[in-house]
Amino acid sequence: MTTLRDTTTLADTRERPPIERYQGLRMFMANKAAVLGAILLGVILIISYILPLFITTDKLAYVASRHTPPLTEGGPILGTDYLGRDVALIVMHGGSTTLEVAGFAALLIIFVGATIGAFAGYYGGMVDRVLMKVTEFFQVLPGLLFALVVVALFGASTATIVIAIGIVSWPPIARQTRSEFMKQKGLEYVKAAKAIGASNARIILRTILPNTFPILIVQSTLTMGAAILFEAGLAFLGLGDPNNLSWGYYVGLNRQYFLTNWWAVSIPGFMVFLTVLSLSLIGDGLQDAINPKLRGR
Amino acid sequence: MLAIATKIGESLLLILAVLVFNFVLVYIAPGSVIDALSAGSLGDASEAQIEAVRERLGLDKSFFGQLFMYLGNVLQGDFGYSPIGNRPVVEMIAPRIFPTLLLAFSALTFAVTIGIAIGTAAARRPDSFLSSGLTVFALIGFAMPVFWTGILLILVFGVWLDWLPVAGMNDLRMSSRAGFFERAVDTAEHLILPTVSLGVIFLATYARLARASMMEVLQSDYIRTARAKGLHESKVLFKHGLRNGIIPIITVLGLEFGILLSGAILVETVFAWPGLGRLAFEAVLNRDTNVLLAILTMVSVTVILANLLTDIVYRLVDPRIRTGGRA
Amino acid sequence: MDQPLLSVRNLTVKFGEFKAIDGLSFDLYPGKTLAVVGESGSGKSVTALSIMRLVELGTRAKVAEGEVLLRRDDGSTIDLLKQSERAMRSIRGNDISMVFQEPLTSLNPVYTTGDQVIETIRQHRKTTRRDAAKRALEMFEKVRIPRPDKVMQDYPHQLSGGMRQRVMIAMALSCDPRLLIADEPTTALDVTIQAQMLGLMKSLQQETGAAVMLITHDMGVVAEVADDMVVMRNSKFVESGSVYDIFEKPGAAYTRALLASVPRLGSMKGKTEPERFDLVDREGM
Repeated sequence: MTTLRDTTTLADTRERPPIERYQGLRMFMANKAAVLGAILLGVILIISYILPLFITTDKLAYVASRHTPPLTEGGPILGTDYLGRDVALIVMHGGSTTLEVAGFAALLIIFVGATIGAFAGYYGGMVDRVLMKVTEFFQVLPGLLFALVVVALFGASTATIVIAIGIVSWPPIARQTRSEFMKQKGLEYVKAAKAIGASNARIILRTILPNTFPILIVQSTLTMGAAILFEAGLAFLGLGDPNNLSWGYYVGLNRQYFLTNWWAVSIPGFMVFLTVLSLSLIGDGLQDAINPKLRGR
Repeated sequence: MLAIATKIGESLLLILAVLVFNFVLVYIAPGSVIDALSAGSLGDASEAQIEAVRERLGLDKSFFGQLFMYLGNVLQGDFGYSPIGNRPVVEMIAPRIFPTLLLAFSALTFAVTIGIAIGTAAARRPDSFLSSGLTVFALIGFAMPVFWTGILLILVFGVWLDWLPVAGMNDLRMSSRAGFFERAVDTAEHLILPTVSLGVIFLATYARLARASMMEVLQSDYIRTARAKGLHESKVLFKHGLRNGIIPIITVLGLEFGILLSGAILVETVFAWPGLGRLAFEAVLNRDTNVLLAILTMVSVTVILANLLTDIVYRLVDPRIRTGGRA
Repeated sequence: MDQPLLSVRNLTVKFGEFKAIDGLSFDLYPGKTLAVVGESGSGKSVTALSIMRLVELGTRAKVAEGEVLLRRDDGSTIDLLKQSERAMRSIRGNDISMVFQEPLTSLNPVYTTGDQVIETIRQHRKTTRRDAAKRALEMFEKVRIPRPDKVMQDYPHQLSGGMRQRVMIAMALSCDPRLLIADEPTTALDVTIQAQMLGLMKSLQQETGAAVMLITHDMGVVAEVADDMVVMRNSKFVESGSVYDIFEKPGAAYTRALLASVPRLGSMKGKTEPERFDLVDREGM
């Protein structure tokens, strides 16, 4: 079976005819849930990044009496919080903070996870065993508590929060990348690359890595969702930047008043929920588009 | 047997690694315990006093000297002193362990049993709404921030419907002479909402896993054999199906235990549940590093032991692993 | 001749619109072996599962019409298709039992072989576990399992394919069924084991007097053990009769083609390669 023709067809997968390339897009569009997720995410991005451009008022200013319920005449549409601030305005501004912290964290997670997974999967043997033990160690750690300790020790700056989320969340990505590398490295096109004398670095970066992109892209949408939840949890516990109120932080601030003021806790929490849900729906749709066999799992 | 011994050895090494890691974090962290102290209660301490404290805490020793001192202390059950609680850390932590384990165990039981029940029902009718909706339910369950779910549950069931207690582990008005049974019922009532908030994250995941695994199991030949023997369908499903179907779930259980205990921190904070998580939240607020580190150690050890336990259970359930067979 | 033990009349089974069995009829006599022959996909296995009423439990098929009459000890007959699920459970594994094609996957991997046989016995006989275990041990001896007491403690994955199939047969015969349905019982086994297994089944049949319905695609197996045969193709009945008659004088073109696919001793004498045979087209049926 290992004929020359097989090698060429596999090596040429990146230059498929355009019709086939759009097939994934079409399958994604056919998945109603995934399209819904994409629309939802679009709306959230508009609320977080476009709308604030048109609003010049101070988001932290007093606008109406404390604990004004939503849809009260004369009050802001989503009511006010325990300091009489406009909930809608703060939640709108909170989006970018949440998304940026989670976004950087997700990038870090993917980078660390993919690197470790690639090394373990490609080199195998002792390298693999050591790296997998390290991965197991980090996977077993109670992530949120660990991040809590790191942030408590090193201070609650955006950088420490990103790093704290990053160091506890990469193991699943590493495992996925590793298994993908192990699968790919046995395939003909990698053997062919080796046969023409490509260096290990070239094979890892230029030959195998591009073939793991589909899986990494799916994983990054899911990772992004997980990172948002993680940031929200940390911020809820008070580990966030008090000047840039992320959604989770804002829920934490309003928590002690939630018996009189249910809206100031539920609305930012709902935004976290919607954002993570939209990302998961997209990730699920992409997964189906890449690997239709797993559909419905 | 050898495999289990190896696993136990690995677990001990992991625990050691956690301790070393803890220590290194504190070692490289800016601001020592002394700084935290001098900012707080010891604000007017003299240089000489601070030097005395440094010596008592061994902060004048080398890296390895301090590491071995730390490990030695921890092995003797000494996690240091909490200036905030004004007590040894061990005394603060000990009474918090049981509530956290109770909550974690309860949430896990809830998620696993209901999840398996839903997943099995869905696997029997792959075309039903339940089955096709399961993926979306799982995504929704995953997307809900735990603290938010908790607050919503309190608002709905605690405040508006006023069905269930929402804070603490026992009713404060409960007389101290209340019997064990009365106390247990009260605790159980207090446990419901925290259990649901924490369990719901995993519920859909387990349901999905159970569906996938039971669908495979129900198509297998040995299920047909069990039916051909004349067994009742419930026996076919539970004795022959489930025992095989839960094997993949058990493997995931151990891995998710860390996430479970992480979630417990948030749930305990929301429900004022007197466990380790609530203590961790207080320790963060008070910058009580010793307590925080001790909790991290305790929880990590718990997670590692839970992993060991699931590994042993997995071997008991699946004879193919236990007896080292091929298939 | 005796009255038939089992009579299948005009059996039709549908998967949605597709007819997996289309109007099949045949009789099976006590103490005899009936071979149901055909290519894969011809509906043989579905026939077996329909008799056991397992099609609707394990697959999405439905029995559309027909009768499956089982003769009881008093000479009266009952239609299995009309029995309640509860009544069927008392028949399965007791009056009619089954041996499947894949011994590798037909036993539950998480229980010992002994437990699985004991479970069958206790399902249909009111006995203590100890007596059931004794009975299971007898059955293991009966199917010539070496060191039966040890094998009873073994899990299926610890046994070879042939040994697992012996366990399946022990389980199937443990409640003295009057009919044993064997669905390709030797197909998954090595050739040497196949012969042993057929010999075993034949001698067990003589010992117990059970009727056997043997589902196979292998004409060699049919010639060796069966008394009568039914030929099926594409869900439909082709012909039936005694094995002797059909082998001697196949009535249908399709049966002739099936028989021709079996190499005969000496048929390649003086030739360098096997003779080509024509596939029978649909019109020829």
